[in-house]
Amino acid sequence: MKKILALLLASLLVISLFAGCAKQTNAPSKQDEQPTAADSKTEEPAQKPADAELPTVTFVHGYYHDESEWPAAAQMRQIYQDFAELHKDEFNFVAIADESGAEGIYDTALNDISGGNFYDIADFGGWNIVPVASAAGLILDLKPYLDEDAAFKAGAGVCYDQNLTADGKIYSVREQIEAVGFWYNEALFAQAGAKEPAAWDTWADFEDAVSALVDAGITPFGLNAGWPTNILTAGRFQADAATRAFYSRGADVDSFDDPAFREVMGFMQENVLQKIDSANFGPGGDDDEQYRNDFFDGKTAMLFNGVWDAGGSVDCAAGAENIKPANFPTNEPGKRASLMSGGTGFVVSNSLTEAQTAACIEFIKYMTSEEIANKIIAYGIGMAPNTNVDYATLIDTVDAPEAKLLVSACQLCMAADYQALGLGNEFGDFEGEIQAKYAGLKDGSKTVDDVVSELDAVIAAS
Amino acid sequence: MKAGTAEKTAARMLGKHRKQGFILAFLTPCTILFLIVYAYPLITIFVTSFCSWNYENFTAPEFLGWEHLFDNYIKLFRYDANFKMVLMNSLKWVALTLLIQVPFTILVALTLSKKMRGWKFTRNMFLIPNIISTAAIGLIFLNLYSPARGVVTEICNYIWPGSDVSVLSNSKYAFWGVTFTFVLFGGSNCLLLLTQIFSIDSGIYEAARIAGASDWQIDWHITLPLLRPMIGTISVMAANYGLLLYNEIALITSGGPDNATYSLSYYIYKTSLGSTKLNFARGNTAGVIQFILGIVIVCLINRIFRSDTSD
Repeated sequence: MKKILALLLASLLVISLFAGCAKQTNAPSKQDEQPTAADSKTEEPAQKPADAELPTVTFVHGYYHDESEWPAAAQMRQIYQDFAELHKDEFNFVAIADESGAEGIYDTALNDISGGNFYDIADFGGWNIVPVASAAGLILDLKPYLDEDAAFKAGAGVCYDQNLTADGKIYSVREQIEAVGFWYNEALFAQAGAKEPAAWDTWADFEDAVSALVDAGITPFGLNAGWPTNILTAGRFQADAATRAFYSRGADVDSFDDPAFREVMGFMQENVLQKIDSANFGPGGDDDEQYRNDFFDGKTAMLFNGVWDAGGSVDCAAGAENIKPANFPTNEPGKRASLMSGGTGFVVSNSLTEAQTAACIEFIKYMTSEEIANKIIAYGIGMAPNTNVDYATLIDTVDAPEAKLLVSACQLCMAADYQALGLGNEFGDFEGEIQAKYAGLKDGSKTVDDVVSELDAVIAAS
Repeated sequence: MKAGTAEKTAARMLGKHRKQGFILAFLTPCTILFLIVYAYPLITIFVTSFCSWNYENFTAPEFLGWEHLFDNYIKLFRYDANFKMVLMNSLKWVALTLLIQVPFTILVALTLSKKMRGWKFTRNMFLIPNIISTAAIGLIFLNLYSPARGVVTEICNYIWPGSDVSVLSNSKYAFWGVTFTFVLFGGSNCLLLLTQIFSIDSGIYEAARIAGASDWQIDWHITLPLLRPMIGTISVMAANYGLLLYNEIALITSGGPDNATYSLSYYIYKTSLGSTKLNFARGNTAGVIQFILGIVIVCLINRIFRSDTSD
């Protein structure tokens, strides 16, 4: 009896295994697959049943958040919905929110690419899928469409030049850009008798203001070994023609042994990192946002973060009325600089039908249009690249104080004399290597010479 | 007589064949699963470490050729300063888990096995860090070490006024800061040791006590030798944790400051997926080295803790 039972069990195990494998091979193909809630992707609830006669385009985005969690996400979904409704007689536009966000969309795309597939159209929210997808020959060059339509090109704004590849193609444009200046606390500057950033002529004014703040017992800024310090480094690189030239070579530099790089690193060590005590310098991990909390708690005078942080001013202890935006000074008196990174946004498959491709292009045109750019800024979602946005008018049309703050921050960034990419967009993987040196520069265990030789070693290894 | 022997032999052979058949039937599914789930990825990692495989040829890794077969390994060891750093860090973590976590866990298990008042409560408390996620642990330690409000900074300031120690931002302290996020948490291993201790025949202890042995002598001469295989097992688990460390690094320091907390696993992630270059070949090369290190460490530990019946 035992033997029979054992035999039955063993047979069952083998059968189960092969049955499992068989089911795998019969799994539906990607084309047949319909999005379900179970696979962490949610189709817009108000989406009407697709008309089988019309071409269908599936758009995947990362705005899955509940309205209570992030109102901007609901507003973005509504914008997609409006577009679908607007073109319901021409094509079926199915917007799917991927609950794993932009990073999840990127990861899924990597998997798809390894199988020779790509989304119809997806919003990568800054995750740079372009190098691998273009090398695999799976994505559409948008440049011809941008070149034939001046309004579309204006809508793409800085994305046009920034996303232009070495072989003259543009694989992605974005409806939002990472616009970065910085924020300051007007009250703390007044308390220290320091010249406000809005009135700075050159970086020498920055140094004077930092000294004045320190002398008054006010911490000028909180930083960490990552994002906020990278912003300040990138800002400082815009100081003069030589530093800007080095910066624009970015990931293509063949050596960091350059006077411009040495000058910026020296400035960062002496006039930035060593001006704050270690209590205001965090490690820079994913959860490290102390520098930001300290600013909105009124403990530090400046915050190096994007325009989107206008939302942080709401009900903050520092007082919303004290929070002001600024862009970076340069060493050319009166000239200003900001960081504006288009990055990777909408990317379209090149294996769609003509009608589907037309629908995708229509969607990107819509998303980069002046109308949507105004909405994105006015809703406080972020900054749009569209160069036709009239910020002076827009500021009067928004009601919420944080939205007004955002509009004025965007206006400053857009009006800057020099607009550069962020450190990560320009230097790629070297960004991480550069930021790894901040702690050593701060505590004095590392000199600029050390940083240069260590970074050059990284170049040699790559 | 001869016919009877032949029948018996035939029956024995039949029984043996049947037994082998059953063994084969039970092993087949596991073997197939092993080949699919473990062996295939492992072979892929080994093979692609001799290839060029990055964003430029993402869909088709290219063999480097016999002349350049070890290029990825040479680049790692000869040119990549980060890799040398991560290798040293990971080996240090392996050593520290073996030198701190394992002895500490044994000590706790031996103490709890005395069943003193509150031992169950203590056991459960010791287990808590092992049942909550490393993400939560990471957040807790980030707050503990926070230069602005962290308890550790406060204590340092109390002892050395004005020192304002920022544990995770200073390359001298960050390694230890990360180490202490996991090195004392041996709750699961402690539970394994306790189970083993409680399964030891109480008669042995009674006989030892009658012979006048003290508690310390009983632990040293009876309990610890009998725990030897289990100590070997928990040593393997602890060393592996040190070698594969990832979550704590990603959440707390991202490998910084100045790569002081860069681990082998985090390096593999950053090289393969955390970079637009998607250098899977080099990431997999580091993976092969991690695999070999793991095997060597397990073999060494097994050799040290191997039970010898002649003992």
